[in-house]
Amino acid sequence: MEALVQRLAPPPAHVDPDEYDLGADGEGNLNALGVVRGMQVPRVPDPAAFLSTYTNSMSQNPQAKIKLEHGTTTLAFRFRGGIIVSVDSRATAGSYIASGTVKKVIEINKYLLGTMAGGAADCQYWETYLGMRCRMHELRNKERISVAAASKLLANIVYEYKGQGLSMGTMICGWDKTGPAIFYVDSEGTRLKGDVFAVGSGATFAYGVLDQGYSWDLSDEDAQELGRRAIVAAGHRDAYSGNTNNLFHVREDGWEFLGNKDISELWYKYEQEKRDARVAAAAQPGSGEGAQGENPARPTTEVQSVPMEE
Amino acid sequence: MADCSFGITGKDFVLLASDQSAGRSIIKMKSDENKIRTLSPGLALAFGGEPGEFTSLGKRRLMGGTSNELAKRGGESDMIKRDTNNFVDYVERNLRLYQIRNNTELLPAPASAFIRKELANSIRSRSPYAVNLLLGGYDKVHSEAHLYSIDLYGTKAILPYAAQGLGIYVALSTMDKYWYPDITRDEAVELLKKCVAEVKLRLAYQFTFNAIVIDKEGVKNLPL
Amino acid sequence: MSRRYDSRTTIFSPEGRLYQVEYAQEAISLAGTAIGILAKDGVVLACEKKFTSKLLDDDGSAEKLYALNDNMIAAVAGMTADASILVNHARYAAQKYLKTYNEQMPCEMLIKRVCDIKQGYTQHGGLRPFGVSFLYAGYDDKYQFQLFTSNPSGNYSGWRATSIGANNSAAQTLLKKDYKDDLSLEEACQLAVKVLLKTMDSQNLNGEKLEFATLSLNKAESAPESTGNEATRGPATDEVTHRIWREQEIDELIKKLGVLDEKKEEE
Repeated sequence: MEALVQRLAPPPAHVDPDEYDLGADGEGNLNALGVVRGMQVPRVPDPAAFLSTYTNSMSQNPQAKIKLEHGTTTLAFRFRGGIIVSVDSRATAGSYIASGTVKKVIEINKYLLGTMAGGAADCQYWETYLGMRCRMHELRNKERISVAAASKLLANIVYEYKGQGLSMGTMICGWDKTGPAIFYVDSEGTRLKGDVFAVGSGATFAYGVLDQGYSWDLSDEDAQELGRRAIVAAGHRDAYSGNTNNLFHVREDGWEFLGNKDISELWYKYEQEKRDARVAAAAQPGSGEGAQGENPARPTTEVQSVPMEE
Repeated sequence: MADCSFGITGKDFVLLASDQSAGRSIIKMKSDENKIRTLSPGLALAFGGEPGEFTSLGKRRLMGGTSNELAKRGGESDMIKRDTNNFVDYVERNLRLYQIRNNTELLPAPASAFIRKELANSIRSRSPYAVNLLLGGYDKVHSEAHLYSIDLYGTKAILPYAAQGLGIYVALSTMDKYWYPDITRDEAVELLKKCVAEVKLRLAYQFTFNAIVIDKEGVKNLPL
Repeated sequence: MSRRYDSRTTIFSPEGRLYQVEYAQEAISLAGTAIGILAKDGVVLACEKKFTSKLLDDDGSAEKLYALNDNMIAAVAGMTADASILVNHARYAAQKYLKTYNEQMPCEMLIKRVCDIKQGYTQHGGLRPFGVSFLYAGYDDKYQFQLFTSNPSGNYSGWRATSIGANNSAAQTLLKKDYKDDLSLEEACQLAVKVLLKTMDSQNLNGEKLEFATLSLNKAESAPESTGNEATRGPATDEVTHRIWREQEIDELIKKLGVLDEKKEEE
C-alpha cells in the first residue's frame, strides 16, 4: 500500500538540495529542518484541471463553487526616505465580501515585508515559509538576507508549482546593504525589480494617483500620504477593494506600521479638503481663480481656430 | 482595436480627448485617425468601438462578469470600426436634418437624448452598433457645459468628468483626485495632460491623442 | 359652374380654388366663437359653448378645450369629432418627441405636425378635409408664450390676439381696438369676456355658456445649493401650467367685471 502511495505521489516539488536527506521527523510537509518536502497536491493526473473544476483559480469557469480571493489593491514604492507599503483590507469570494479586516501585509521579519494579492492562503503560507528560510539564511551566514535573495527564494518556490494552480502576486519589500529594494514576484514565475508597483484588481486605479504624485524626492510625510491616497482611489473605483487601509514605512532600521484607516472615511475627508481648499482660495483676495475684482493675468491655454474635420 | 478617450467639464467649457489609433486586433494601421467629430458649433462626439478581444476579456473579469460574448465580438473588429463611423455619420446627418427642418439647433441635452434613443433601438435590432461615446456640448441657452457618456447598450450618464476605453483603468482615479467643480480651463488642460501621461506610462498600447475644447465660441482644437 | 369641381377636394376649379376646403372653412364660421389673447405672463383661450341643455349630463369638463401636452392647450372651432382625431395625433407626436429628446416639443413644431396632416386631406383623393380650426396656446423656452391658429387648409399663423368661429371678424375688430401690448393675463381674461359678450348672441353671459383656459408659468423655486456632484445639476426651469376653468370660476370673473350689470342698465 505504501509503495503504491509513494508511486502515485508527485515528486517533492520544492527541495533544498543541501538538506533533502537530513532529518526524518517534521510537521505536515515540513521536515525536521523546516524544509518543504513537496506540497500535498491532489493525486490526480492533472492537478490544475482538477482545481479549476472546483475553484476559479485557473479558469473563468463560472460553475466553480469555490471562488478564491482575487480582488485586492496593494502597492509599494521606493523613494528617498525608504519604502512605502500601502494595502487595502477587503477579501472577496466572487461578489461576496468575505472579510474587511484582512492583513495583506505579511511581516516576514523586522526588515522584510511581503504583500498579499491573489489567493490569500497561498500568500500567507508561502510568505510565512519565506520568513523561515530568511531566518535560516541569517543563522547560517551571520548576516541578513538581501531583498534580492529573499525574493528569488520565493520566485523559485512558486516556479516549482507553476501551472498547478498557485495564485499569488506579491511585492517583497525591505532594506538591505544596498538600501531600500522592492521585488515583484508572482505565481507565473515573474520576478521584477522596480521603484513603483501596484498589484491587484485595483492596481490600475492606484497607479493613476501614484504615478501622478510620485517623485523620488518626496518627504516622508508626503510619501505616506501618497500611499494612502492611492489606495483610497482604488478602494473608491474598484468594487473588489476597500474597507480599510494599512500603511507601512520601511526605513534602514526596519519597518514601521503607520496605522489602519477606513477608506470610505478617508475618501470623504479628501473630498472635504478639496472643497475647503476652494473656499480658502476664493476667500484670499488676489490669489487664485476665485478672487474677486481684477483677475490677475494668467497664461491662457493656447487655442488654435482650426476646423476639426480632416 | 483598443480605444481611449477622456472628457472633462468646467463651468463654461468641456474638453474632449481621444486616442488616434485605428487597426485590427494587435496591428495598428493608423496613428493619426481623428476619432472626435464636431456635430454642430457647440457639440462634439468622441467615439470608440467596443474594445477588442484582449480588453473586453479583461474588462469583463474586472466587472465580475463571466460571459465571454464580448471576446467573440472582438474577433470582428474590422466590422466594429465601420460601425462606429457609420453611426456617428448617421447622428451627425440627423442633427443637421433637425436643424434644417426646424430652423433651430438641438441643444446638448436633447441631442444626447436622441443619441441615446438611437443606441437603445440599435441594441434591440438585428445588427446593433458597437459604439461607446463621450458627448460634450455647450448649452448656449443656459450658458453651461455638459458631458454625457453613452454606451452601446443605450446607457446615458451626465458626468463631470469621464474616461472611456482603456483610460478608465489608469486615469479615472487621476481625475477623481484632481478634478473639482468649476475647475479652471488651464487646470483642466493640466489634468488632461496628466491623464494622457498616465496612459502613455502605464498602458502597453502606444497611444497618440488629439483633443478639443468646446465653449461658447464653439469647437476648437487643443494642442496637447 | 362650380358643381363639377366642388365635390372633389383634390381638383382645382378653373378659378384656381379648392371648394371643399372653402366649404370646410365655411362650416367653421358657423361654430361657436373661440378667442385667444396673448398676455405678457400667459395666454388665455375662451370659447362660446353653443350647445347647452338642462338635460345634458356632462361632467363639467370642457368640450372645446384640449390639453395637447404639458406646455400646450388648444381650442376648437368646427367639428368636434374631427378635432378629436387631430388632437390625438398631436398628443402622440408630442409624447414621441418628449421620449426622443427628453424635452417638450417646441410649439410651432407640434402645430406644423398637425397642419401637415390637415394638408394631406386637401390633396389625397377621396378624402374629406378636417372641418376644424384650432387656436393653440403654448409656451416654449425659445419663443416664450405663443398663440397660433390653424384652419382646414393646413395653414397656420401666429397672433397676439385672434378669434375663430362665428363672428370672428367682429371679434377681431374688437380685439384690435382694445388689445394692448403689455396686457397682464388677468386683463386678457377680462378682455376675452368683454369681447365674447359683444359677439355672442346671448344676452346674459354665465359660466354655463363659456369655456375658459389659461396657460402661464409657475416660477421655479431658486435652485437649492448643490452639494457634491455639481456637474449633474440641471438649470432651474419655470414650470408651465395650464388650467381649464371650472364654471364657478368663470362666473366669478364675470361678476367681478360687472359687465352684465352694465348691460342690464343699458337695457
